Amino acid sequence: MRDLAGRLGYLVLAATAVAYLAVYATGLGRLPTAFDYLSILNTTLPLVFVAIGQSLVVLTGGIDLSVGGTVSLCVAVTAVAVTGFEQLPLVLAIGTACGVVNGLIVAAGRIAPILATLATLPIFTGAALWVLPVPGGSIPPQIRAVLTNPDLPTGLIWLGLAVAGWLVLRRTRFGMRVYAIGSDAGAARAVGVPVERVTFGVYALSGLCCALAAVFYVSTTTAGDANAGAPFILTSIAAVVVGGVAFTGGRGSAVGAVAGAAALALVIDVLFFAGIDPLYQALFQGLFLVVAVMLGSLAMLLRRAT
Amino acid sequence: MTSTAPVPTLHTFAVRATGVDRAFGGVRALRDASFSARPGEIHALAGENGAGKSTLIKVLCGLVAPDRGRVEVNGRVATAFQELSLLPDLTVAENLLLADPPRGRLGLVRRGRLAPEARRILERFGVDHIDSRAVCADLPVSHRQVVELVRVLATEPRVVFLDEPTAALPDRQVEWLAGHMRRLRDEGCCVIFTSHRWREIERLADRVTVMRNGTHVATREKLAEAEAVTLMSGRTLGAMYPEIPPPATAGPALSFSDPGGISFDLRPGEILGVGGLAGQGQRELFLTLFGAGRPARVTVDGRPIRIRRPKDAIRAGLGIAYVPEDRKAEGLFLPLSVRDNITLATLGRRSAAGFVRRGAERAEVAGIVSRLGIAGGGAAAGTLSGGNQQKVVMARWLLADARVLLLFDVTRGVDAATKHDLYRLVAELARAGKAILYYSSETEEIAHLCHRVLVLREGRVAAELPGPVRDAERIVAAAIADGEAHA
Amino acid sequence: MRRVLYAFGAAGGVLLLGTILHPGFASWPSLQAMLVVASFTGFVAAGQMLVVLVGGIDLSIPWVLNGAAIMLTTTALGQPGRLPYALLVALAVGAAAGLANGLGVAWLGVPAVVMTLGMNGVLQGLSLGLSKGLTCATCGSYAPEPLRGLFPLGALLVWAGVALLVTVVLTLTTFGRRVYAVGVNPRAAYLAGVGVRGVTVALYTLSGVFAALAGVMLVGYGGQPSLGLGDPYLFESIAAVVVGGVSILGGRGHYAGVVAGALTLVAVTTFLQAQRVPEYGRLMIYGLVILVILLAYGRTRAHD
Ligand SMILES: Nc1ncnc2c1ncn2[C@@H]1O[C@H](COP(=O)(O)OP(=O)(O)OP(=O)(O)O)[C@@H](O)[C@H]1O
Ligand SMILES: [Mg+2]
Repeated sequence: MRDLAGRLGYLVLAATAVAYLAVYATGLGRLPTAFDYLSILNTTLPLVFVAIGQSLVVLTGGIDLSVGGTVSLCVAVTAVAVTGFEQLPLVLAIGTACGVVNGLIVAAGRIAPILATLATLPIFTGAALWVLPVPGGSIPPQIRAVLTNPDLPTGLIWLGLAVAGWLVLRRTRFGMRVYAIGSDAGAARAVGVPVERVTFGVYALSGLCCALAAVFYVSTTTAGDANAGAPFILTSIAAVVVGGVAFTGGRGSAVGAVAGAAALALVIDVLFFAGIDPLYQALFQGLFLVVAVMLGSLAMLLRRAT
Repeated sequence: MTSTAPVPTLHTFAVRATGVDRAFGGVRALRDASFSARPGEIHALAGENGAGKSTLIKVLCGLVAPDRGRVEVNGRVATAFQELSLLPDLTVAENLLLADPPRGRLGLVRRGRLAPEARRILERFGVDHIDSRAVCADLPVSHRQVVELVRVLATEPRVVFLDEPTAALPDRQVEWLAGHMRRLRDEGCCVIFTSHRWREIERLADRVTVMRNGTHVATREKLAEAEAVTLMSGRTLGAMYPEIPPPATAGPALSFSDPGGISFDLRPGEILGVGGLAGQGQRELFLTLFGAGRPARVTVDGRPIRIRRPKDAIRAGLGIAYVPEDRKAEGLFLPLSVRDNITLATLGRRSAAGFVRRGAERAEVAGIVSRLGIAGGGAAAGTLSGGNQQKVVMARWLLADARVLLLFDVTRGVDAATKHDLYRLVAELARAGKAILYYSSETEEIAHLCHRVLVLREGRVAAELPGPVRDAERIVAAAIADGEAHA
Repeated sequence: MRRVLYAFGAAGGVLLLGTILHPGFASWPSLQAMLVVASFTGFVAAGQMLVVLVGGIDLSIPWVLNGAAIMLTTTALGQPGRLPYALLVALAVGAAAGLANGLGVAWLGVPAVVMTLGMNGVLQGLSLGLSKGLTCATCGSYAPEPLRGLFPLGALLVWAGVALLVTVVLTLTTFGRRVYAVGVNPRAAYLAGVGVRGVTVALYTLSGVFAALAGVMLVGYGGQPSLGLGDPYLFESIAAVVVGGVSILGGRGHYAGVVAGALTLVAVTTFLQAQRVPEYGRLMIYGLVILVILLAYGRTRAHD
């Protein structure tokens, strides 16, 4: 049953995918085409990246509310400054720098993660507004052709790389230590885990993930917006939770969070093809989130009862 | 190798602390503490709760920096801390191999190799009945303690610190640990351990260092228990166990009958012991009676009553109280005042329209604090000494007019002088007519304090011994009697 | 208690700085305007503090607030006679949402973040859907006059009443004692006979009511509800609670500190507006101020 909680993300994704196929087929009288799948994939990629970063942080028992600000800032920088591949490292560096700031405040400043990132959120958002006061800018087409090509499944490569990156990270000492800290930071320190360093690294990586998400975001939406990141705060948390990562840390995986992100994206399409009034969209997303997690905790309760 | 001059021993000590000070906030845990231990010896650290044993160990192994003084260590150190430092969400294998996991060519951890490698380590220590793939949180406490010890011992250290390693360990595993401690010593390793059980120190230690109030008091090769207690507490204690008043002859205060196999009557003034090997359903029995486990049916004064939650058990007229072994996790509210801690369970009786009647409260708290001699009454509970904290929990239930006290291992990790006081408090409560159900991980306590002993095995009563039993071996014998035949 | 003083110190410091740079910054009319704006944060933060005291969090505040605001105007239809009924309905909506949150957290074991986040979505969907994106026939109604006439002094009295109520409940009643006990150590509280689940449910319900109250007051202030009315109040409520010295881990904090926290935040914003700092600068400085306050007294204890 512990396993069931860990696999929550895949189960929910599978259920949502079935629902998607069902409503699509009944609505349009045929199955989705490759084009449908590709557009879902491309619009989901930004959330996938934020969710991977968020899940790393949550695995250590923390939370990163500033992802909204970091994504916004990186979106603004991408829209304004990126004219070719040469500038992409700049965006990644800025995102990582935001994460480094969080990491310093949490690890060295000893401030609870939820508070530290609550404070940096408006700082990063402000910086985004400064870079890009009104929505606009764009990303050069040659980058879009590589990142989120609407006709070729390039997105699949990036998704694969992201998952592979996580699988490698999981197999480093750093990866093991992330779980150790989330399980019990005090005990981890006592057995020699450099808690501060790992915590710092986790936030820095979350910042890097936000930068990647921002690049993909601009690539799919064609224009930048200094408030683009705000929705990612709550959706990334939702993805992590639906993905079966325990809020107390130490349990779950980023792949689960990726599945959670995909499920959340699919739900929107399910609602669309089911003919639900878009005004009610949030209602069903909210219910989806609560019910998915309730199933998870119900499984835990059953486990305890047996 | 032709030199005839004696080879000077480079180090006569394995660890040494000289003049160490360490304070936490306002609390001076160590003051001018000195300590030294040699390679190839088992060295016991003894002292009351709060004497500074754990802090000294943390300073010696480098986890806590001293404010002042010098620390020297020769060779690789491994430590089993008092608070388990096992990571609950990780598997046994991950815990054992966290520091040095098996890695492949790219330097990546080979996750498939973790479990087999860990099993080899467990086999080496003869405890491969523990599944190396199990998540630690799912293991019973005694197994977790064993894994923790294996983790420490497997690093082949030159200096080993074991801080109260036996507190959560069943007798059989204590033997297992003792064997490994002796083996390490014979291999020239320096083994330092703490314990509040004098018999263990007597049996295992080559030398004993006694600490009091954060300072070194004495280091001896031979030390009698009475003298040790005097050195530790600064006072001379009489007999350890008090005279137990004869049990009352009145009808039962509480009758419990469980289809699962436990049933008993508990009379006012009676101390009923619950014995048996660790983890044979004692904790479940106590929690059930208190409404924190399965729903239970009990008979009080001839009336059948259902207990579904602690609130039901505490209710006036029934008055069942539970004093847990882990007072910090289950009994106390450390940042709150002693007053808030004591009156929480009885707020309803001291209120009008939902408002606390503060005058009445103040008077009652003052009364119980002076009756039990709780020192430091005005402060936050967290600043009190261990013994006083345990008294605060007791005070809560005495105010609640509890008639039945469920005392679950209340002396776990408690020093000799405080135990001495707690035994007397238990006897006095029995004399005052309280019905007491008593469990302890130290079978000897049950043998000396209880009028009657139920020996549990696998959640059933395996034997009932009239008491006082005095000889703990008889309880142990009953606990394993035909259990061995089954095996 | 020391943290409460720090919080008031922070508020005083900002006001002082404002007066030095802008004579009249702390004049009564200006102060009064700031207090009114702070009161909205004060209402939501009262509820947020109650759930934070037991180690929880309420992310459903934005749409509980917004939903209650829409409920009030569409029920009252601008008629003073319907106001009491409309008030009841609006607050009941808040209570119901809070109750559902509490039941989900306490009885079904759903993490507070998830339960309240989901509830926020549910209420957003319901508010948007039922009011057809605030284009329904009655959606153009104004808040009835008596409510609008509350400002400014009446509204401040309501805030003072809330402050008194919360403080009295937390410090003088048995319920208050139980709240702190649950916040410090829920397991020990349960074993001391405290109905931990009941306390939790009550606190989430209260949080819903306070968020609804903020919604009611905001439509009274602005006349009409708008979509996204509650959005700023999620982070604002958490920030006020934290700046007010309430421990995010539960069990420690007083409403007096939260009042000071709300004042500090509003004074900072007002000051920056007076300085004509552009929005990006306001946001950044706002974040920096919270950060500085956190570094001053929000640090967890050093481990060694
Ligand atoms: N991290 C800490 N913060 C505050 N006080 C501490 C801390 N660690 C220890 N203390 C205090 O220092 C004193 C010594 O504690 P220590 O744990 O070393 O005692 P001990 O001899 O190991 O006691 P016990 O037998 O109960 O384990 C105690 O008063 C304790 O409350
Ligand atoms: Mg100790």
